[in-house]
Amino acid sequence: MKHQFKDGTLYFYFYGELDNLTVCNLKQICIDLIDQYQPKTVKLDFEEVSFVDSTGIGFVLARYKQLQKYHGELIICNLSKVNHRIFAMSGIFQLMKEERNGVKL
Amino acid sequence: MNKMTLECLAHLENEAFIRTSAIAFLMPLNLSMEDCMEIKTMLAEAVVNAMIHGYEGNHEGIVRVHVSYDENQIEIIVADEGCGIDDISQAMQPLFTSKQHLERSGMGMTIMQTFADDFHITSEKGKGTVVTLRKRIQHECVSE
Repeated sequence: MKHQFKDGTLYFYFYGELDNLTVCNLKQICIDLIDQYQPKTVKLDFEEVSFVDSTGIGFVLARYKQLQKYHGELIICNLSKVNHRIFAMSGIFQLMKEERNGVKL
Repeated sequence: MNKMTLECLAHLENEAFIRTSAIAFLMPLNLSMEDCMEIKTMLAEAVVNAMIHGYEGNHEGIVRVHVSYDENQIEIIVADEGCGIDDISQAMQPLFTSKQHLERSGMGMTIMQTFADDFHITSEKGKGTVVTLRKRIQHECVSE
């Protein structure tokens, strides 16, 4: 995972298989970065993610809740078709926006 | 008909091994990328449930995974001898989770239900849980 803080937005770029073990290893780093920057917007980029499951949904929902403390907005970016389907099952897009290549869907 | 069984300790790092091994075993079926992704995801859900909920993170538990297929369907059975599920219909509800503090989404059962053509679960308190997932094989029409 890479991250970048630019103009009030904190970007997280995930790659590979975002399974249970990977999320467990990344979680605390993301929590700390959000608390450190208290950003207006957090963008989670899934472009390079080849696998995601319900653990990923739980992780995104928890970051959404964490960000509410700072009145920040969470945006999910560049989901593949199958990853989009998995996220959509949870109704998550009623809570947060989705973007593809910087364009809101 | 072909089949295989995997038996692993309930270490979370074994989940990736189980899902990739199952997909490797199913290689002769030339599944579509979409079917592979669906199988991997539903299997991951069942295995993570066994490890986190069944054994409640106890690494000494054993997770058994049976994968079999014939010309019509793939069957995946994931069994644990963990704590069992109190209330299956409650556990099946989308977004229901008993482990919110672990940032679980409560979507595992819904994902399995959506991706499997046939999904079924039996559980006995204190004895364990068996999840059965079946997927029909789509035969592509090959024109001569």
